Amino acid sequence: METLLSPVVLFFTLGLVAALLRSPMSVPEAFAKGLAIYLMMAIGLKGGVEMSKTAIDGTVLAVFAVATILSFGLPLIAFFALRVTSKLSRTDAAATAGHYGSISIVTFVAALDALRLSGVEPSGYLVAVAAIMETPAIITALWLALRGRAAPESNAAALDRGELIREVTLNASIVVLMGGLVIGAIAGADGYERLAPFFTAPFQGVLCLFMLDMGLNAGRGLRRGWRALGIAPFAFGLYMPLIGAAIAAGVSLPLGLAAGDMAILMTLSASASYIAVPAAMRLALPEAEPSIYLTLSLGVTFPFNIALGIPLYIAVASALAG
Amino acid sequence: MTDLHDKLRLEIIVEKPALRRMENVLEEAGVKGWTVIPCLSGFGGRTRWSRGTDISGASDMIVLISIGGADVIMSALDPLHKLLDRHIGVLSVSEVKVLRPGLF
Repeated sequence: METLLSPVVLFFTLGLVAALLRSPMSVPEAFAKGLAIYLMMAIGLKGGVEMSKTAIDGTVLAVFAVATILSFGLPLIAFFALRVTSKLSRTDAAATAGHYGSISIVTFVAALDALRLSGVEPSGYLVAVAAIMETPAIITALWLALRGRAAPESNAAALDRGELIREVTLNASIVVLMGGLVIGAIAGADGYERLAPFFTAPFQGVLCLFMLDMGLNAGRGLRRGWRALGIAPFAFGLYMPLIGAAIAAGVSLPLGLAAGDMAILMTLSASASYIAVPAAMRLALPEAEPSIYLTLSLGVTFPFNIALGIPLYIAVASALAG
Repeated sequence: MTDLHDKLRLEIIVEKPALRRMENVLEEAGVKGWTVIPCLSGFGGRTRWSRGTDISGASDMIVLISIGGADVIMSALDPLHKLLDRHIGVLSVSEVKVLRPGLF
């Protein structure tokens, strides 16, 4: 209940309701993009500082491996579920599935915030886990969509692999997150102390502003895109996060993760990308319908995770990991 | 009286992720220059859209404007058509008059 009534969730709800009621209110575009970069930089830096304090042991490497496998594997389950339950084409199902293997960095930030409210501080290396899980799902989605298809023509109009690889590996969220992580690890706690007035105290306020914008985006996406969704894809947007979280909980147990770390891995597996994967899909699978995968990711799964998913994942992780 | 010269004006409203591919086509066709302008909002394919705030810009639309000789612009149309078969966008060509033909 405390999580649901946190200012972060309430500002998200405000934006969502305002958009659904057709309010013309908006957060200026460049400002909102600046907020996103600030949040990713802050999360990366703090994660890097935490990583500088602890050695990378076998458990951390095992979590990296599990996260990679989850990101590769979850789209297979999502694709199967969509193909069996809905009438989505192979391309649309594959593009949508890719979103559910990758992660939403804002959901990750909201989960970190919710955990801190509960007095739990997750491990810093989970920022690296978030970055690791951005990309493999894109490869699985492309494999699912392009399987059995003829190779594209080799001319300027055909798929530019270099452009796609650049987008997948050097997209803004990976560069800022991983860059922040490395800089935080190099700077350490002493170096971060000089930045703390900028990155620690204002963080909550900036997150509220950003969540207001996310609420507006989610509400507008849902209002404009709901017609493109049938009941089955809409239901998929609600049950797929639970499947992802359950699988992550299952693989976390043998690793002996602490409750906070398990909750974050569950949240990452439950979240759906709305930055990295849509950009990659517009380059690699432009014939896939963005009103389906963006509405599902941003308009259905994101609000579900913010309002209900995250408190649920924290409760389950606490019960399982004690 | 100042002389004006006939040229073709190519205007493409297209999703931002396709921009680099469009530019490659124009460059290969020998187009000497173009300008890209961000779009604010619009309606098409039964969907309203507006400029997003996500940092990838994957949902953004842009307008690409280029003016050139008929031979150059026409030679770019076929590959541009192939690109627009896959990407969200519309293309139009109109006849315009320019002041300094050497620039195009």
